[in-house]
Amino acid sequence: MRSWLKMIKELTIRPKGERQIRKSPSYSFDEDMKKPLSGIKVKEILGSSSDVVFREFFIEGKERIPCLLAAVDGMVDKNQLDQFILKPLMVDLAGHSEVTQLTLANVVDRTLQSILPGLEFKKITKMEEAINAILSGDAVIFFGDTTEALVFGARGWPSRGVAEPITESIVKGPREGFSETLRTNTSLLRRKIKHPSLRIISLKLGNLTNTDLVVTYIDKVASPDIVAEVFRRLGTIKMDSMLGNGYIEEMIEDNPYSPFPQIAFTERPDVLAGKLLEGKVGIIVDGTPIVLVVPAIMTQFLNVNEDYYQRAMVAVLSRFVRYLGAFVAMLAPSIYIAVTTFHQEIIPTDLLMSISVGRQGVPLPALLEALTMTVVLEILQEAGLRLPKPIGQTIGIVGALIIGDAAVKAGLVTPLMVIMIGLTAVASYAIPTFDLGLAVRIIRFPFMVLAGFLGFFGVSVGLYVVTIHLLSLRSFGVPYLSPIAPLRIRALLQDTFVRAPWWALKRRPQLIDVEEPRSGKKG
Amino acid sequence: MKRNGCRVGLVLILITGLLFITGCWGKREVEELAPLISIGFDLGQKPNTYLVTGQYALPNKGAAGAEVKDWTMSFEASSLREAYEMTYKILNRTPFNGSVKVIVIGEDMAKAGFKDMLDFTQRFSEFRRTIYLVLTKGKAQDVLNVKLRNGEMPAMSIKNHLEQGDELSSFPTVRLGHYLTILGRKSTAPIMPLVKSIKSGDGGIEYKAEGKDGAEEIQLEGAGVFRGDRLVDLLTDEETKGYMWLENNVVHRFINTVGLEESKVNFSAHVLKSTTKYKVADTNGKIELQYQIKASVAVEEVLGQNEQLSETEWVELMKGAEKSFAKVIEKECELSIQKEKQLNLDFLGVGRHIEERNSAYWKTVKDQWAEKIADFPVSVNVEVTVHHSGMSNNSVINSTSERQE
Amino acid sequence: MERISTHQFMTLGAAVLMGTTFLPVASIATGAGGRDGWMSVLPGFAMVIPYSLMVLSLLAQYPNKNLLQISEALLGKWIGKCIGVIYISITGYFGGLLLSQCGDIYERSIMPLTPLWLFYLGGLLLVFYTVSSGVEVFARFSEIVFPMIVIALVLNIGLSIPRMEQGELLPILSEGLKPIFSGAFKIMPFAMEYILFLAGILTFLPNSKKELAQLKNGVWRAVFLVGILDMLVVLIQILVFGPEEVNRLVYGLLVLGKIVEISRTVSGVESLFMGVWLGASVVKISAFFFTVTWGLETVFGFKGVKWNLAVCAVFLGIAFGFVRGHSLFVEITLVDDYLILPFASVWIPILWGVSRWKKGAGVQ
Repeated sequence: MRSWLKMIKELTIRPKGERQIRKSPSYSFDEDMKKPLSGIKVKEILGSSSDVVFREFFIEGKERIPCLLAAVDGMVDKNQLDQFILKPLMVDLAGHSEVTQLTLANVVDRTLQSILPGLEFKKITKMEEAINAILSGDAVIFFGDTTEALVFGARGWPSRGVAEPITESIVKGPREGFSETLRTNTSLLRRKIKHPSLRIISLKLGNLTNTDLVVTYIDKVASPDIVAEVFRRLGTIKMDSMLGNGYIEEMIEDNPYSPFPQIAFTERPDVLAGKLLEGKVGIIVDGTPIVLVVPAIMTQFLNVNEDYYQRAMVAVLSRFVRYLGAFVAMLAPSIYIAVTTFHQEIIPTDLLMSISVGRQGVPLPALLEALTMTVVLEILQEAGLRLPKPIGQTIGIVGALIIGDAAVKAGLVTPLMVIMIGLTAVASYAIPTFDLGLAVRIIRFPFMVLAGFLGFFGVSVGLYVVTIHLLSLRSFGVPYLSPIAPLRIRALLQDTFVRAPWWALKRRPQLIDVEEPRSGKKG
Repeated sequence: MKRNGCRVGLVLILITGLLFITGCWGKREVEELAPLISIGFDLGQKPNTYLVTGQYALPNKGAAGAEVKDWTMSFEASSLREAYEMTYKILNRTPFNGSVKVIVIGEDMAKAGFKDMLDFTQRFSEFRRTIYLVLTKGKAQDVLNVKLRNGEMPAMSIKNHLEQGDELSSFPTVRLGHYLTILGRKSTAPIMPLVKSIKSGDGGIEYKAEGKDGAEEIQLEGAGVFRGDRLVDLLTDEETKGYMWLENNVVHRFINTVGLEESKVNFSAHVLKSTTKYKVADTNGKIELQYQIKASVAVEEVLGQNEQLSETEWVELMKGAEKSFAKVIEKECELSIQKEKQLNLDFLGVGRHIEERNSAYWKTVKDQWAEKIADFPVSVNVEVTVHHSGMSNNSVINSTSERQE
Repeated sequence: MERISTHQFMTLGAAVLMGTTFLPVASIATGAGGRDGWMSVLPGFAMVIPYSLMVLSLLAQYPNKNLLQISEALLGKWIGKCIGVIYISITGYFGGLLLSQCGDIYERSIMPLTPLWLFYLGGLLLVFYTVSSGVEVFARFSEIVFPMIVIALVLNIGLSIPRMEQGELLPILSEGLKPIFSGAFKIMPFAMEYILFLAGILTFLPNSKKELAQLKNGVWRAVFLVGILDMLVVLIQILVFGPEEVNRLVYGLLVLGKIVEISRTVSGVESLFMGVWLGASVVKISAFFFTVTWGLETVFGFKGVKWNLAVCAVFLGIAFGFVRGHSLFVEITLVDDYLILPFASVWIPILWGVSRWKKGAGVQ
């Protein structure tokens, strides 16, 4: 018995030192970073990785200068290295006029000024910079034992091209989407907003991953308070790893316990540009095509960018459908439960009869029946989501058609319940944003339980609780239900439930307290 | 930030905790309900008891989908709730009152007064004020137990019939709420449509009966007049129609001029639209109520027309028809007014009309109104417009040789 | 410091003023005013305007203070404290009664078999959540709930039009003006409940000169909006039921909800309307909850979740004391007529008068 306990103890509790290393593995690393810059040292630190390549050569100047070129194989464009570094330094130099004056002391400046023709050369003096540059895919040239080095930006790795985003498909509008490469993404954005006030500010996060990220906003459009708040919150993040947008999202959102998304995301440059022009702030993280947009408000999750490409009338209709869909997806099962178990008077008598007949012989009470069916729906959704496309369709057919039909025939569920759940599922697909769809899926369950126990009273209590919760939420200082409460009548009428035609949208939305006219003139 | 989250969690835990403490409160699954469609009231055998008939629609799973079974039963009880108690003891489902459509009041019950029976239906929240009230000749129990030849439940049949009442406008449609409002007016006497079950051969109606002697059809005709909750007298079909005209309740109607006068040519028509206005005229201190009825009709039948008429003659004929129709309507109204005076019961709401238009005068007559009804002058002025006479002008006539005879 | 905007003040004021008055208003107005009762609603509500303006002028003079603090400043510490205690007990008692009413209307009209305490707890839960989220959230809540109430009322009224009886409104003014005055007098206490809330919310109101004008505007708008809506509620009930019946029905509007029929098939939508009425009830109870907490904070310095829970317990206690619906109705009327009306109509003018006098005498 005792030995058994001991074994568990040994398994679960690791020795102290090891834990410390796990907690902060960059400990010994930091020491190296502070050392003076030198090629030999870099080779020492990185030499053990097989993907880092080193090329040693000499420049025959006034004196013989040993050079070391370091880069990560697979992350640099080798052609560029050959053409812009190795060829000028080793081949062309022989006929160069300055070759005779090159010494170890001036080699860095001289080569930078007149020998190396590439665009992206930068002089560095710190060890940390050199290591980061190499690991980020740049090439670094060290000259002998000088404490200066040259960084050459020759990043070139296999990457996904600009493709149409999967999550936000659109019928009428631009089809390009962000990809995993940060620079591509910023360039896509810059192509949309060609104005000096577009700010793209770089940061690095993650002690180990050293992930690049960019905060972007439009100066004088975005509220300075919000921009400052974004930087403050990003600054407080202390994490070893930063592998995607979700990491940041959870670290900077206002209320982590809320099921509702408080940060919007997009994969589309046009959407990001549109949001920035409304005064929002975007956070682009390297390595993911998902761009975070803050502050977010509730109604924004139900509006899609296509609304702005469609004609206003069409946009109004499709928005109405979406709001209705969200409502149905959230409440349809609970309303069904409340009506059939508490408020039968609302059902027309003929319908009452047919529901009653349908329910005869069904073993479960309405609440449990609905809960089971919803759980089955969730399982089907989850199962279909991650499967390869051809198999995913099979899931749909097997789940919906075969199981549903057989369950009804076997008298396990009522046909009306199957209709109800199907309706709920379809309606939930009308919610354009995945995050909000998830929130709706989560709160559907408590609503069903409330309806099953307290009928419409329960549903109303639940609705009011959700309302008060939403009202007390803020996203970066902006109230979550913003144009509705606190009421901003103009924003409400122009771009919330309806979209006014573009010629009527003269001013920027009011929710972020910027009162500049949209067109740049007093409208 | 953190406290807010805790609060949400706390609230959620509270709610779920609250819900799972005990079972379900007042929850009823649909299949456990027995939808009550109609209630009938009659007097019981014993003194101070009532015979309450409940007509339930019990849904059952049949071979081909839903099947509704009519489950009708009568209970002798001293209160409505007691009748329910007896139902509970027999029926294995919970009676559900939200679906009650019609309350049928038997003649005996109506004469004795049914206020106490109605109290439950206007008090208990499950009942709606939109329930229809009908009076029946004979016993309510019998009407509800009629086996209709089309298999419909009698109560549903009555309800559907009442809802199509506008098509014919020959009987009043009274809902519980309306009845209570009329009672609240005090000066006006309530009125209720009359339902009766008919056998083959009754009143010129014949059908091939399946059973031996039972009635198999239900007819809505005429009405009953009440003093408060007590039946005073029945109105004939014509008197009821007069009431409908005067109350501005006519939407569509069929009228014909047969039997009106000696004229050879008769018409029947479809009333397309009708409005009744009234005013209280004061001519030198003599107060009079004047009704003004304006009706538009389409002539649908021309009877006894044996000559080909020219266009101008046809115009004249139609002008004559207008006058005849006006006379018919006037006659119906007069009958109704006569009845009112004869009964000394203001079911036409004359007193209320006076109050509305001349409340000062009303205050002087209010207290002796019951005696004054008989002498109070009421006049009716009818104006009929014939819109058209259908797809043809002239009538089909027999061959010329016959005409010459 | 939390602040609410002038627009929020308007909707919040309207929502609190409205509260659940639309439920009993018809029966009270016709009880006193008969057939012409509907005309007495608007004057009854308008009676509150001078009081509100007095309160707002006190706000201009003593910014960032609520009326209890102003009373202490003007009338001396002990009188002020006494007023505070009366204020707390009246609002607390009335809040509990309203909670009880919330359960009563549910049990009476749509869910007769569900235990009463569930309604109390459900309502109180919402109230507690609102109150602990703060005044700003409460103001936003009213911004959402009030339009819903208006829409529901208009729908309810509009859908009942087919059930209207002929000429129920006539004759107009057959009894002279007297019924209108007595009706208005019966309606006035509803409006005075709002004054009690206004007395407390003062601290959260903006007080620049421009905004003060907007606040006054807000009072006018709220009063007229609510007055007109309530008037319509009474009007439609008289038109549908007739004055006698309206007087006889406890909560006429609930019955009105029951007779709504949409194309003869969809009926019984009262349970949907009830959800909205619950919101109205929550706003009103929260308002009184707030007044109690403000009162406790000002007079005794009691503050925090502990005291909020204590107030909850008191509310629940009062609610459980009035499980008899009929005596609850009587009690609410009594508190309205004999506590709230005299208290508010004496307190405010005295304060205003004293402040004017002090200003005139240059004491301050």
